Amino acid sequence: MSEFVQYLVNGLTIGAFLALIALGYSMIYGVVRLINFAHGDVFMIGAFAGFGTLTALGATGGMALPAILAAVVVGALTTGVVGAGIARAAYVPLLSSPRLALLIAAIGVSLALEEGVKVLTGARFKSYPHALDGGRILSGAVHVTWGQLVLVVLSVALMAALWAFVTRTVTGTAMRALAMDRDAARLQGINVERLILTTFFIGSLLAGAAGVMYGLYYVQISFGMGFLIGLRAFTAAVLGGIGNLPGTMVAGVCIGLVQSFSAGYVSSRWTDVIIFGLLIAVLALRPTGLFGERVVERA
Amino acid sequence: MTPLTPRDRGRRFRMFTAAGAGLLLVPLAAACGSGGSGGSGAIKIGVPAPLSGDSASAGQDILAAAKVAADEINKAGGVDGRKIQIVEADDQCSAQQGAQAAQKLLNSGVVAVAGGYCSGAAVPAIPIYGRRGVPFVMDASTNPSLTDSGKGKVFRTCGRDDNQGLVAAKFMTGPLGARRIALLHDSTTYAKGLADAAANSARRAGGQVVYENALQPGQSDYGPVLTKIASTRPDVLYFTGYFAEAGLLMKQRKQLGLKFTLMGGDATTDSTVLKTAGSAAGGYIATTAPLAKDLPAAATFVSAYKAANNADPGPFSVYEYDAVKVVAKAIDDAGSTRGAAITEALHKIKDFPGITGPITFDAKGDRTDPLYITVQVQNGAFTAYKKLDESGATWVDAKTS
Repeated sequence: MSEFVQYLVNGLTIGAFLALIALGYSMIYGVVRLINFAHGDVFMIGAFAGFGTLTALGATGGMALPAILAAVVVGALTTGVVGAGIARAAYVPLLSSPRLALLIAAIGVSLALEEGVKVLTGARFKSYPHALDGGRILSGAVHVTWGQLVLVVLSVALMAALWAFVTRTVTGTAMRALAMDRDAARLQGINVERLILTTFFIGSLLAGAAGVMYGLYYVQISFGMGFLIGLRAFTAAVLGGIGNLPGTMVAGVCIGLVQSFSAGYVSSRWTDVIIFGLLIAVLALRPTGLFGERVVERA
Repeated sequence: MTPLTPRDRGRRFRMFTAAGAGLLLVPLAAACGSGGSGGSGAIKIGVPAPLSGDSASAGQDILAAAKVAADEINKAGGVDGRKIQIVEADDQCSAQQGAQAAQKLLNSGVVAVAGGYCSGAAVPAIPIYGRRGVPFVMDASTNPSLTDSGKGKVFRTCGRDDNQGLVAAKFMTGPLGARRIALLHDSTTYAKGLADAAANSARRAGGQVVYENALQPGQSDYGPVLTKIASTRPDVLYFTGYFAEAGLLMKQRKQLGLKFTLMGGDATTDSTVLKTAGSAAGGYIATTAPLAKDLPAAATFVSAYKAANNADPGPFSVYEYDAVKVVAKAIDDAGSTRGAAITEALHKIKDFPGITGPITFDAKGDRTDPLYITVQVQNGAFTAYKKLDESGATWVDAKTS
């Protein structure tokens, strides 16, 4: 039983950052109808930006909460700017091209980001400063650390902020309108290009924050870290009904749990088989995702 | 993609780029190679190593050590009046890249090869060198099958996993007093081989193997694996994979508050694990070939290496240094750069004074005196801990050797 609870705790922690990354996929798909394959690499850049910040602040051991927050903020803002920059440079010029062109551009951006970081920082993995090494909340049969709590609280706070932004602000409303119908939104006087950039900014910002949290939690980052976790988050986005934000949040947490339980009860070698098997099953049986899709899909 | 690097994420993009780069390299390398074979220019010695990817730090250390050895030889007048030239090739620690690196080295006209890090990359490379009769002196590829297969002209300056497995098993059941032993590998040729060797020896030494399975490298989250292992109530966990995962295992074992002793194989003794694990590394034990700083004969090498690279040598640097030196000696003895002559000379070498001890190869190409010791993390550094004495019966303090 204690094993089960331990897997649950670990799964919820992983699910918290997977959900943040998945939200970016979902939002971007919602407004541009693009699976942004570079999103995982944006997440990676966030991890590196946070690494730079923590190193510059000289954060070591213990719960350096201000340093952690600074790293998350810098990481998130950096990736927000990078994400919007990518969209401006690579995607907006292709908006009226066939969708395949956008997809190929996304793959190109993904490789360029990875190789760029590899050239700049080297191929070796980097060890994050141990800023989250504070004590445990629970110890005994089940272990929960303060670090895990901080990560989950940060994730939930960011998701709540996103939710408030999308539902309560004019920009958020415009974003939802844009997701429904780009042309109709334009006719309503919405500056579509600027709004797309805003969406990229926010989606990438969440991924960057997740990148910093990942680095703090797992301590080890490398230029290729975004690929697999990006695919897992993408699976979560599909599972939740891509474009459906609450569905995506729930599905992100579910994928985290699947990852943790499959590694625990089966073998970590099978984790990816199970997760991506699930992706195929969802696509085959319920292509709109487990929670249906709120955004109207256009023909 | 499975034959790619052990921690490959199954990326299709990379396969295309690799294949594309490979296609470009073949004619290029052939063009470079046509001028170099034979003649009185420099003698080319190939060094395949993982120069990129997750094992890149070990590969860079190996290459740096080869260059130190070559510099020394060249400063002393070279071999038969000819300079030694090191030709590097990146094998990325993968089977596919290993084969490409071997081909690249042959195309550039190397007369012998001294290097390698991952056994998985050596497996496909051995027959490629073998077909051209080029001898391959491995510095860190420790899988028993490499020399047992008899497929090429292979030698190694490092020990074999079955030796290491035996030392690990004896250490766990002896000084550690462990009864219940858990083994974790990562499915790579090296790690699986070492785990199997340790399991066999542990059973023979009276231990009970309560867990033997693999983790998926590059996943970052080993909490579930550790929780599962803890449920088998082991006294000790012996992890035979590479250092990137070892650091995470140490850290996550501490986060989960697990009490069993954590031990690792020689691929975990890279100093980067200490950064990853931080304070969680304290007390970690590893079986390993003696490190440069444990070898009195390596003192000159260590200072030369530091002067050239502004860093300490890596775990296999001394074995690479000896590999290059022993190849140079064999070329000198043979008075020829033909592969067959060098191979014959390598077999004839007896008690060559390497910095890792006297080097003599047996009929298979293995060292006749391979030695493994255990090291322990103390004050944030790997420190020599215990070693079996000459008879293999009692444990002595490794620091005094």
